[in-house]
Amino acid sequence: MSTLLPPPGEIAKMPVDWVEERSGLITFGKFMLFRNVPKDISWLQTLGSALITVFILQVTTGILLAMYYQPDPDTAWMTIKFITDEATLGWLVRGMHKWGSSVMVVLLFLHMGRTFLFGAYKYPREMTWITGAIIFILVMGMSFTGYLLVFDERAYWATIVGVNINGTAPILGPALSWILMVGPEISTHTLSRFYALHMLVIPSILGGLIALHMLLVVRLGVTSPPWSRMQVTESDV
Amino acid sequence: MPRLTARERREAYQREYAFQKKHGKSFFPHAVFHDTIVSLIVVALIMGMAVLWYAQFGPVPEIADAAREGGILGPAYEGKADPGVLRYDPRPEWYFFFLFELLRIFKTPELLIVGSVIIPTIWMVLLIGWPFIDRNPDRRLSRRPVALAVGVMVPIVLLTLTFYGAKAPGAVGEASTAPGAAAFANGACSTCHTFADAGTAGNVGPSLTANAVDYETALNLITNGKGGMPAFSAQYNEDQISCLAGYVATHSGAAAGKEGPEAATAAETYPASCEKAGGEFAGTAAAG
Ligand code: HEC
Ligand code: HEM
Repeated sequence: MSTLLPPPGEIAKMPVDWVEERSGLITFGKFMLFRNVPKDISWLQTLGSALITVFILQVTTGILLAMYYQPDPDTAWMTIKFITDEATLGWLVRGMHKWGSSVMVVLLFLHMGRTFLFGAYKYPREMTWITGAIIFILVMGMSFTGYLLVFDERAYWATIVGVNINGTAPILGPALSWILMVGPEISTHTLSRFYALHMLVIPSILGGLIALHMLLVVRLGVTSPPWSRMQVTESDV
Repeated sequence: MPRLTARERREAYQREYAFQKKHGKSFFPHAVFHDTIVSLIVVALIMGMAVLWYAQFGPVPEIADAAREGGILGPAYEGKADPGVLRYDPRPEWYFFFLFELLRIFKTPELLIVGSVIIPTIWMVLLIGWPFIDRNPDRRLSRRPVALAVGVMVPIVLLTLTFYGAKAPGAVGEASTAPGAAAFANGACSTCHTFADAGTAGNVGPSLTANAVDYETALNLITNGKGGMPAFSAQYNEDQISCLAGYVATHSGAAAGKEGPEAATAAETYPASCEKAGGEFAGTAAAG
């Protein structure tokens, strides 16, 4: 009987082989995991991966919040109150999303500082820096649009001031603040517009840019620290 | 060392990096191990902040739409936004303080655009374009004096702006008894304007102690807003707006030693609006 079936180890491998044969995903995964990085990379180079973790955390807690939140001036504040006061562990989900955004901004500054210190934006990594700079600006946009969603007094007024400031730019300014507010003042449309920007438009662009940023990092490899002692020796040439 | 052409430098870089990679270590498990530890610390930090925030919440408010107080990490939520509510605090999230402070530095109407648009745009262009600005091929800090100077200056400037941006504006003295003074001091105006007569020291907008503003200008600004100044037509009715405008026109410009241009006529007419507006607007001088 045992001769009719392949050994269990073989059976377990079958779906893996099936996927590999059709997609090459296993080879890709192995390449990602077992590619070499310079020997002397430092702890400072972990900040980028911490940022991915925080982004995933923001997306997850954001989706959970979106299951209760209603972007309507009459009910938005009530749903935030419900999430905080009543929903099981709602305070934790909201708290992690709220403080996650602050931690994310701090990590962004540290990560930028690290790449600056290492001169990691120099040839051939200019594009990696540029995508990162745009990601930074978009994250600031995430926070600006997210702040209004709570719809408490501070959120309301801070947004009015913020939009008015955009409005001081010549020519484009007034148009921009009209587009953001959908009219001369904050209304139902303003809130749903901020909500759409905060959870659909900016995060999708952000996700795409993060993917591009990672593609560049894997393709070009991470820099070794500028104080690296590893030098090409004659025997290697 | 002979000067290398750009092409030679790139080739030298390629050679060196290929060497470092060849003699490098595997991403898994070496780098993954460090990355996991730091990610776990960061997640623990975020959860810790959420828990600390929650631990200091006050009781759920009895009154509908009221704030739920908190501790050092701030309230659970402030009161429900209500365009009619006069008390407010327009401060943004802390990481926007540096931009907020720029607005205070360039608060006169002519300069506002410098702080609101010109400087932030220059910053964004410098940030995105930095790899093309710093053409020095060396990575060692000791050979990058300009980059080092920039790298030290930027955090100092940002931290200083953030520090001053964090200081809360607000009232510093007693409001006078003139009609409109109390409404100005207790309302939104005090957060943004310094005005000795009302005892306020906000510094987002221009100082009304220093500038003399006429009635028409004030009326128009309060009704329609302009630049960083919000429109108040949704919050106040006509009498309330004309009361505030009259109050500003008659009492602004004190530091410059001049009265508002139409102080004499406005002084006769505006207390009537304040009287009609009632409440805080009426003031106590009208009675005496
Ligand atoms: C969010 C901050 C803010 C609030 C709140 C605010 N202002 Fe202003 N105000 C400004 C700014 C900024 C300007 C400059 C506008 C410009 O000309 O660009 C200004 C300008 C003015 C001026 C003209 C000053 C001058 O020198 O030309 C008057 C008068 C004035 N505000 C009155 C008021 C009154 C009355 C209130 C309360 C109802 C008020 N403001 C609330 C920010 C504010
Ligand atoms: C796809 C990802 C995201 C989704 C679906 C999402 C969704 C939401 C929702 C529904 C809210 C309202 C609930 C609340 O305020 O507590 C909110 C608030 C907020 N979001 Fe996001 N969000 C995402 C990512 C981010 C990111 C990356 C940041 C910034 C780094 C951010 C910053 C904020 C801020 C500052 C608030 C206000 C939080 C508060 O004061 O409680 N969000 N988000």
